[in-house]
Amino acid sequence: MDTLLYLTRRVLQSLAVILIVTVVVFCLLHALPGGPARGILGPQATAQQIAQFDHEQGLDRSLPVQYLYYLRTLLHGDLGTSYTLNEAVSRLIEQRLPKTLVLTVLSALAGLALAIPLGMWQAVRRNKPVDYVITTLSFVAYSTPVYFLGLVLVLVFTQLLPWFPSQAPQGDTLGQVLSQPNALVLPVVAGAASMVAVFSRYMRAATLENLSEDYVRTARAGGSRPRAILWRHVFRNSLTPVVAMLGYYVPVLFGGALVVEQLFNYPGMGLLFWSAAQSSDYPVLLGCVLVISVATVVGTLLADIVQRIVDPRVKAGRS
Amino acid sequence: MSAVLPVTSTVEAAAGSRLALRRFTRNRLAVAGLTVVVLFLLLCFAGPLLHSTDQTHTHLTQVNLAPSGAHLLGTDAVGHDELGRLMYGGKVSLLVGLASGLLATVIGTLWGAVAGYAGGWIDAVMMRVVDAGIAIPALFILLVVSAITTPDTWGLVVILGLVSWLVPSRLVRAETLTLKGRDYVLTLRAIGGTHGRAIGRHILPNSVSTVVVAATFQVADAILLVAYVSYLGLGVQPPSTDWGGMLSAGLTAAYSGRWWLIVPPGLAIILVVCAFNAIGDGLRDAFDVRGRG
Amino acid sequence: MTADILRIENLGVTFSTETGEVAAVREVSLRVGPGETLALVGESGSGKSTVALAAMGLLPGTARATGHAVVGGTDVIGATEADLAGLRGRTASMVFQEPATALDPLTRIGAQIAEVIRNHRPVTAKEAAGEAVELLRRVGIPDPGTRASAFPFQLSGGQRQRVVIAMAIANAPSLLIADEPTTALDVTVQAEILDLLRSLAADFDTGVLLVTHNMGVVADFADRVAVMLQGEIVETGPVEQVLLRPTHEYTKRLLGAVPRLAVAEPGADSRRTEGDRAAADPVVELRDVSVRFGRGRRAVRALDGVSLTVGAGETVGLVGESGSGKSTAARVALGLVPPSSGSVSLFGADLGRTRGRARRALLAGVGVVLQDPVASLDARMSVAECVAEPLRVHRRGMPASERRTRVGDALELVRLPRALAHRGPRELSGGQRQRVSLARALVLEPRLLVADEPTSALDVSVQQSVLEVIAGLQGELGFACLFVSHDLAVVQQFAQHVVVLRAGRIEEEGSTATTLLHPRTDYTRRLIAAVPVPDPVLQRRRRAERRAATGVTA
Repeated sequence: MDTLLYLTRRVLQSLAVILIVTVVVFCLLHALPGGPARGILGPQATAQQIAQFDHEQGLDRSLPVQYLYYLRTLLHGDLGTSYTLNEAVSRLIEQRLPKTLVLTVLSALAGLALAIPLGMWQAVRRNKPVDYVITTLSFVAYSTPVYFLGLVLVLVFTQLLPWFPSQAPQGDTLGQVLSQPNALVLPVVAGAASMVAVFSRYMRAATLENLSEDYVRTARAGGSRPRAILWRHVFRNSLTPVVAMLGYYVPVLFGGALVVEQLFNYPGMGLLFWSAAQSSDYPVLLGCVLVISVATVVGTLLADIVQRIVDPRVKAGRS
Repeated sequence: MSAVLPVTSTVEAAAGSRLALRRFTRNRLAVAGLTVVVLFLLLCFAGPLLHSTDQTHTHLTQVNLAPSGAHLLGTDAVGHDELGRLMYGGKVSLLVGLASGLLATVIGTLWGAVAGYAGGWIDAVMMRVVDAGIAIPALFILLVVSAITTPDTWGLVVILGLVSWLVPSRLVRAETLTLKGRDYVLTLRAIGGTHGRAIGRHILPNSVSTVVVAATFQVADAILLVAYVSYLGLGVQPPSTDWGGMLSAGLTAAYSGRWWLIVPPGLAIILVVCAFNAIGDGLRDAFDVRGRG
Repeated sequence: MTADILRIENLGVTFSTETGEVAAVREVSLRVGPGETLALVGESGSGKSTVALAAMGLLPGTARATGHAVVGGTDVIGATEADLAGLRGRTASMVFQEPATALDPLTRIGAQIAEVIRNHRPVTAKEAAGEAVELLRRVGIPDPGTRASAFPFQLSGGQRQRVVIAMAIANAPSLLIADEPTTALDVTVQAEILDLLRSLAADFDTGVLLVTHNMGVVADFADRVAVMLQGEIVETGPVEQVLLRPTHEYTKRLLGAVPRLAVAEPGADSRRTEGDRAAADPVVELRDVSVRFGRGRRAVRALDGVSLTVGAGETVGLVGESGSGKSTAARVALGLVPPSSGSVSLFGADLGRTRGRARRALLAGVGVVLQDPVASLDARMSVAECVAEPLRVHRRGMPASERRTRVGDALELVRLPRALAHRGPRELSGGQRQRVSLARALVLEPRLLVADEPTSALDVSVQQSVLEVIAGLQGELGFACLFVSHDLAVVQQFAQHVVVLRAGRIEEEGSTATTLLHPRTDYTRRLIAAVPVPDPVLQRRRRAERRAATGVTA
């Protein structure tokens, strides 16, 4: 019952956030050169056509009224039509989004699988050489721009050591993408690097904090061995706050995908967005921003729910 | 009569900051970070005095030269001396990074402090705005902006500040919430003290360490973001440049073996961002504040 | 002669801190025989908990121990972690102070007990789970079969402490070390936990090392007592001797400072004569106040129809256990918590309807002292700035020189040297800080002082001096006082009128002298009966009486 209440509240909060996102996108739409009319009619439209369109669409009305119109079109699933690809934006995104999701989810899983044990190892070996080395490496991984890292990966693993192709898997369907796992390796590594850096730091901090908790002393007083305490108690307690941070990291993952897809020519939403930016294809740009933001909000919500399942404590009144 | 001593808290503040300083200096990574930052500031701002180069005109007779005695780091595709360019671009990277990181911290601090202190529905609305801001990935917004307009350097600072104040605002809000419930603030309110006094005399001074730590990480992120921005085509316009611009310009050259065009700016970015992160880490441990891991 | 289960010889413990080496324990020797309880008493910083941790080999990494601590034949000092793990939970067990944090929040309590069992005995998971349920029953958890699968957060503080005890006795250890096992608990729960520990120790013939600051607990539980001062033992002996005929100066001083609850002679006539209370000129008055936190189904009723009055110059004690709403009531009186219904009148004006300048003028007549000596003063200000804050709020035109004089006067009033004004709060002891808080509260010469547990974080000797200062100043300045405390003995000493709160409602009230000697309600009677008095002979009789009254036979 309590969980239901919490869920309702979190879903309502998420809807509020999405509403605010639509306001931001709406404002961007109006910041476009020529305004939304240009955005919809395309770059070839004459001033006269634009004036007429503005009148027909109520764009000469007050901004709040226009915003309501805009919301109504969104509710119909209408994100406009791409200038360059001559297709509905919603259709384009439908094709591309799953591929981006595959890339980000794989990067996230790979990143976590490495970061969590690394962080715990550092905590256990605190202030020993291993800790310093991993800390330094994670600083470097965090500080390297993804495009530079991608370039280094390509130079090393396709030119110097020809192990992997320099191009990500191509193809329209998910099946085609997944059938070339070899080609996915470099994009996933590039996408996961900064995640490893950030989450190994989180895990290190969380583990250190839990190692100094009273319950560890209680377990020691009961004769439990350090290794057993680490895995049976500290691990789970440290993982919970780290899972919670996952929600905040979703937008960073998408940001990374934008660069990685461009770098490895991976036909996902990031690449779509990138080429739209080169050709000033505004409907595609804004549609993508909207969809990515909604995906982020949903991702954050999921992370919260997962955390709630992992952690039985009722965290009432936390917003 | 005893001498009238000025009534200040310097004694106490000094004791606290001495301890923090001792903790900071014992953190080897943090001290290394500080050294790196100082060295790069010297290189970029004092370096051109010793190694003066022409970064405005092209020198088509000396393009793509490998490192040599005349050009320690070689020359680029239009004949600029790469070492001089590293200093020249570093100025822009460091200035834009510092300015936009600090701007983001200021905005975030004010927003978070107001939300946390006001509480109730004001807090709820303000924090949903932050959630929405976080939900829109910064790189996407920056790319949309780059499709719409080409800002000058200060415009760039403002844009970067506006997309990156969200994380500090969360940190400061959390800090404000804690401080607002402290007994000394409750006592002040119980005897009729104003909100202004509670914020100005207690909450802001006590969140200084949180803000300083947040600002350090913010500058690190901002320098990194500047590098991305150039890659996205929103960066400073030629002939001016920054490390990110040099790096993305050199990307294709790297395939033809002209490593000196990407290694120096790449290393510069990595070193400086690492350094600010290490300093932030050290400061956080020294001040004993919570923040990002 | 039976072998001692714990024998500590010349134990020394040094901590390396950021400011250098600190010797916490020096040349401590003591022993505990089977079935015997030794109480290790002392004030904060005396090193008593460090001795307990050293005996378990649980000292933090920054500590260095010398000497011997022999547990069941094994010297713990210098033993390997593997040897210690074999010892802990089997030969020697420990119960800690803070039940809120002592258990892993994400592991079911049955599993945590079973873990201790399986650490030492080759039983199957199923057998261990069965034993865990049995242990939960043994420590008095109702419906243990179901509760075994509960998480710690689903239990009350007292129940959690019972779970920690179940873990401690899981392998029938011969030594139990209890570090302030009841300090975080309410007094009625404390009595139950002490009863439980005593019966378990008797059943298993377990030797107990009881670390505590509470002389009442010592009188209730211990066979012998060792008194620690600044890392050394200054006096050891049988409990009657140490508590009733102390020889060392420090022990005498300590015992003299313990506030003693005056109780009616056991079995004496309990009729009471009601005195009249002069309720004239109320300074603060709560009328039918209710406070709800949260909304809807999850709302918590913190106060429910509470009415109380503090008259001019009078001290009203507000007592109750945790969750009784006593602190909320004080905060309502201060206007920090708005009542959901009912009204508050302060100096005759309706606090809820007064706004702006008028409200601030009203609040100028109030002084506040809260519980936590660390959180009460802003560490970024000097003592002078802290004390001057009310002057800066209400006397903005006051010249700096006069403000300095007033601050110095206020410090002298609370018996602190004027020179302290330039120090920072972090340089002061807990008692000094609370006096600075008091100086701040009194610098405007208020008509009402609200004190919320002002001394409960302090050691008894410090508590006594702070209470003396408040009482002395009240006689001198004549302010009224609303005094919140969980400690009945302190309230008895300090307040003329007492209000007993229970779960947000007033259970009973009356003049302190009659109410605490001859309570009218069962609840107050139970509350008083649960307070252990620092006299082993009297306490034994009180315990027998309490058990007879509550029907406990264990």
